[in-house]
Amino acid sequence: MLSVNDLVLLGVGIGVKLLLWPAYHSTDFEVHRNWLALTHSLPVDKWYFENRSEWTLDYPPFFAWFEWALSHLAYMWDPRIVDIDNLEYSALTCVMFQRLSVVVSELVLFAALMRFAKVSGGSVQARVAAFLGFLSPGFLFVDHVHFQYNGFLFGILVYSLVFALEGHDLLAGVTFAALLCFKHIFMYIAPAYFFYLLLHYCVVYRQRGAGGLDLGASVLRLLKLGSCVMLVSGIAFGPFVAMGQIPQLVSRLFPFKRGLCHAYWAPNFWALYSFADRALIIGSRLAPNLFPALRPNAALESSTRGLVGDSSFAVLPDVTPAATFIATLVAQIPACALLVFRQRTPTRLIQAVVLCAFASFLFGWHVHEKAVILILAPLGLLVATPTKRMLRMFAVLSISGYYSLLPLLFGAQELPIKAAIMLIWSLSALGLLKSSSVPAWRCLTALEKTYISGHGVLFLLTEISPSCLFGQMQFLPLVLVSVYTALGILYSWLGMIYELLAAEWA
Amino acid sequence: MAPTTRSKEASGLKSSKKAAARPSDIVPINSWFRFLETQNSQAIALPLTLLFAVLVRWCVALYGYSGQGSSPMFGDYEAQRHWMEITTHLPPSKWYFYDLQYWGLDYPPLTAFQSWACGFVANLVNPAWVALDSSRGIETHESKLFMRGTVLVLDLAIFFPAIVLFFRSKRGFGSWVPQQVSIFTALLHPCLLLIDHGHFQYNSVMLGFLVWAVYFAAQEHYVYMAVAFCCALMFKQMALYYAPAVFFFLLAKCFQPNHGFALFIKLGFAVVATFGLMLLPWIQSPEQLTQILIRVFPVARGLYEDKVANVWCALNVVVKLRNMFETADLLRLATAATSLAFLPACIHLFVMIRRHKGKLLPAVRDNMVKLLNYSLLNTSLAFFLFSFQVHEKSILLPVIPALLLVDDEHWAVNWFVQVALFSMYPLLFKDGLQIPYAVLAIGWSVLRSCPVCPADKKTPRMVFLLQWLSTLVMVALHLAHMFISPPASLPDIYVVLNVVFSCAMFLFFFVYFNYRQFSLLSRPSSSRDMSTPNKRKTE
Repeated sequence: MLSVNDLVLLGVGIGVKLLLWPAYHSTDFEVHRNWLALTHSLPVDKWYFENRSEWTLDYPPFFAWFEWALSHLAYMWDPRIVDIDNLEYSALTCVMFQRLSVVVSELVLFAALMRFAKVSGGSVQARVAAFLGFLSPGFLFVDHVHFQYNGFLFGILVYSLVFALEGHDLLAGVTFAALLCFKHIFMYIAPAYFFYLLLHYCVVYRQRGAGGLDLGASVLRLLKLGSCVMLVSGIAFGPFVAMGQIPQLVSRLFPFKRGLCHAYWAPNFWALYSFADRALIIGSRLAPNLFPALRPNAALESSTRGLVGDSSFAVLPDVTPAATFIATLVAQIPACALLVFRQRTPTRLIQAVVLCAFASFLFGWHVHEKAVILILAPLGLLVATPTKRMLRMFAVLSISGYYSLLPLLFGAQELPIKAAIMLIWSLSALGLLKSSSVPAWRCLTALEKTYISGHGVLFLLTEISPSCLFGQMQFLPLVLVSVYTALGILYSWLGMIYELLAAEWA
Repeated sequence: MAPTTRSKEASGLKSSKKAAARPSDIVPINSWFRFLETQNSQAIALPLTLLFAVLVRWCVALYGYSGQGSSPMFGDYEAQRHWMEITTHLPPSKWYFYDLQYWGLDYPPLTAFQSWACGFVANLVNPAWVALDSSRGIETHESKLFMRGTVLVLDLAIFFPAIVLFFRSKRGFGSWVPQQVSIFTALLHPCLLLIDHGHFQYNSVMLGFLVWAVYFAAQEHYVYMAVAFCCALMFKQMALYYAPAVFFFLLAKCFQPNHGFALFIKLGFAVVATFGLMLLPWIQSPEQLTQILIRVFPVARGLYEDKVANVWCALNVVVKLRNMFETADLLRLATAATSLAFLPACIHLFVMIRRHKGKLLPAVRDNMVKLLNYSLLNTSLAFFLFSFQVHEKSILLPVIPALLLVDDEHWAVNWFVQVALFSMYPLLFKDGLQIPYAVLAIGWSVLRSCPVCPADKKTPRMVFLLQWLSTLVMVALHLAHMFISPPASLPDIYVVLNVVFSCAMFLFFFVYFNYRQFSLLSRPSSSRDMSTPNKRKTE
C-alpha cells in the first residue's frame, strides 16, 4: 500500500516532469513521432520497410505495437501527429502528447519500484533506493528532456527482477523475454538471466537421499521455460517469420556499420583506449624517437572530430568488432561465475545483471552513453541493503555515470536544470543511502570524495567556462567528460568485482 | 542549524514523539522534513530546498513571458530589456526622457542602475541584445536566456539569503521542522515565482529588500532596516504600500527613552544618505528630479488600469464610479479610503512598540517582529484593496509578509496565497503560463495541504468548510473558463467573476489579519511571553 508520502513524492516528480515540457528535445522526439505515424498509417508488413523518414523503425516488434497503441490516442489528440508525410511535426499539441506519453508510461517503473520496496520489507532504505531510481537524472535527462521511453522499459526490467525476488522464476523469465522484444539492448544482460534461469529454475535436485540431479523434473522445467519463452518471442516475431521479413528485421535491429565509439565517446574502456591513442599521437609528434611510429592512416583526423564512423588508431592496434565481442564475453565471466559456482539467490541475479551490464557497457562495440542506465537501474535495487563498499561503488558510479549523460543536453537553456538535478540527486543519494546507518558520504574514502567533487570542477571547466578557453579544440570538453567519468566507472567496476567475487572466494 | 541539531540530540526520542503529535504533521511538506530529521540528514535539507527552488524557477522560465511575440509594443519583458538598452547607451540625464512612448523608464533609480548593470554584462556578451533602438523587440533564444538568467541571479543574490537568514534567526519554532518548512514555503510559493520567472519582472529584488528590512528589525539593527527599506523603495515605488507600517515602527523606536533621539538622527541621516546616493546622477537638476517624480507616480492614469481584484474594480460591476467623478476626486476618495484602512493597523503597531522600552527579551522581540509583519501585511493589503492605480501583480506585496508569518497562520496563509495566485490567473493566462500555473497551484495546495485535510483536528470546522467552498469555486471557474466560451454580451465574464470573488476573499482576509494583529498580544502563547518577561529565561 502506498503511503501519502509516496504519492506526494510521485506527484512532485510528475510536476517537475510536466514543467520540463518546453525544454530541448533531441531528434529521438521525431524518431518516435515517425514511428507513431508509420504504425498508424501502414499495415504491419510495411513497418520494417518504410523509409520515408530517415528515422526508420529499428526497435523489435513489441515496441512497434506499443507505438501502434499510442498512435490511436495520438489520433484522437491531434490527427496531424500520425500523418506519415508530416515529417518534423513538433507543434505544441504534439509535444504535449509525446511528453505526456512518457510521463504516463513511466508509471510502470514507479509501480515496479514500489513493489520492489514492498518485497524488500518496506524498509526506509528500500523506499529511498526506489525513489532514487524513479527520480534519477538518468530518466529525467534521457526520457523527459532528450526524449525516450526508458522509464517504461526499465519498469518492465524491474518487474522481472521483482518477480525473481518473489520466487516466480518462470514469470521473471517470461517478462524478460517480453522486454527483449521491446528493446534488444537488454540482450547485454541476457547471460545473467540465462545462467540464473537454467541453474536456479530448471535444475532440480532430489530432496531426499543422495540429493543428485532430478533429471525428469529438470527436463520438464526446461521444457516449460523454453515453451513460454518461445511463445513470447513467437508472438513478437512469428508474424514476421511468416511474412519472410526476418532478414529485413535483423538488418534494421543490428546496424553493424557503425564505428567503435559513438559520436560522443561513451565513458567506457574504449574511450580511455582512444584517449591513450590520441595522447600517443601527440607524444610521437613532439618526441618522435621516444614513441612508436605513427601508422599512416586516417586516424589523425577521426574519432576526436566526433564523426560516427570507423574509428581507427594511429599508434595502438585497431579494434575489430570481434575483439570487442570477445572482450565483452571475457568481462562477463565474473557475473556468470557468480551464478554457476556460488549459491544462486535472486539477489545474485541482480548482481549478475549489474556485472553483465558493466561488461557490455565497458567493452561493447558502439556503446551509447545512455546504456549506463542499464548498469545503474539494477544496481539501484542492490543499495537497499548495501555493504559499505557497495555503497561507495554505487556513489562513484552513479554520480559519474549520470554526469556522463550531461553532454546529451548541450544547450545553454538546460544548464541550470542539469546542475540542479545532478546536485539534488547526488546530495540525496549521499545523505540518505546508508550502510548500517552510516550515510554514504561518510563511507567514501578521501580519494573517492575528491573524485566526486571533481565533477564540480569539470562542470565549471566544460560547461560554464567561455568557449574561447578550448579554442580550436571543440571536442576537448567532450573528451574530458568522457575520460574523467570513464575512470570512475572503471574504478567502480573493479570495486564491484572485488566486492562480489573476492569477498566470496577469499 | 547547529544549535537545533544539538538540542534535538540531547532531548532524543522523547521530543520527536511529542513533536510528532503536532497537527501540522499531516501536511506533506512537513512530513518530508520530519523524514529528513528521523534520518539524521538535516544537513542536506537546506541545500535541497535551495536547489529545488532554483530548479522550479528555471523550469518556469522555460515557458513564455509577457508580450512574447506581440509586436509592436510587447510587454513587461520588453520594458525591462529596453531599460537595459537605454541605460547602457545613454547618460543618466536622458534615462527618464528618452522616447517615453516606447516603454519610457518609469521605475525609481535603483531599477535604472540594475538595468545598467545587466545591460553592461549583456553588452559584453552580445551587444546585439541591447543595441540602442535596433534591438527593440529582440526575441532571440539567447537573449531570452540572458534575461531569464538575470532574474534568477538577482533572486538568488537578494531574496534567497534574506528568507533563509530571517527564518534561521527567528525563534519560537519549537523545533527544526517548522523552520525548514517555512523556508521551503517562502521560497517556493507560486505567486512570486510565476510573476518573476514566468511573466517576467524583478519583484524579488524589491521584496527581497523588504525581507532584509524585517530581518534587520528582528536583529534590532534599525538603521540597516531603514537603508534596506529605502533600497526597496528606490527599486520599485510599489514598496510605498509598506511605508506606513515601516514608518510607524521606526517612529515608535525613536520614542525610546535612552537612545530614541540618537536613533532618530541616525535614521534621518541614513534615509537622506541612501536617497541622495541613489539620486546622485540627477541631484543637481530640479528639472531631472521632477521628471523622475512624474514618471514614477503616474497619477494621471486613472483609478485602475486593467481588471484587478480590488474594491474599486469590483465595485465597478455595480457602480460606474469612473463615469460619476473626475479623476482628481477619485484620487482623493481612494487616498482617504486607503488611509482609513491602513491606519488602525499602523496605530496599533505604534502603540504596542512604544510600550516596550529598553532592551528587549528574545520572546518580546519575536512578538515585535510578528507585529511588524502583521502590520506590513495589513497595510499593503489596504493599499491593494483601496488605493489608486493598482496592478493585479501588487497582490505580491501582502503575500510576502504573510509568508513570513506562515508558521503562525498555517491555514490563513495557505488560503491567502491560493486566492492571490487565483487572482493573477487572467494575467498568467495571457502569458501562456497555464501549465506552470496549474502545476504550481496544485503543488502548493497539496504540499501545504490547503484546503485543510480532514485529519487536521486543530483548525476550526468552519474554516475547513469555507476553504473547501472557496477551492470549489476556483476550480469551477477554471473549468468553466476552459470548456464554456463566454456569452457574446459578456466577453469578460470570467475575468469579472475572478475579480469579484478574489476581492471578496481579500476583504475577508483583510478583516481577519487585522483581527489577528489586534489579538496577537492577548493570545495565550504570546501574552505569557509579553506579560511576564522576567520569568522567562533567555535561553
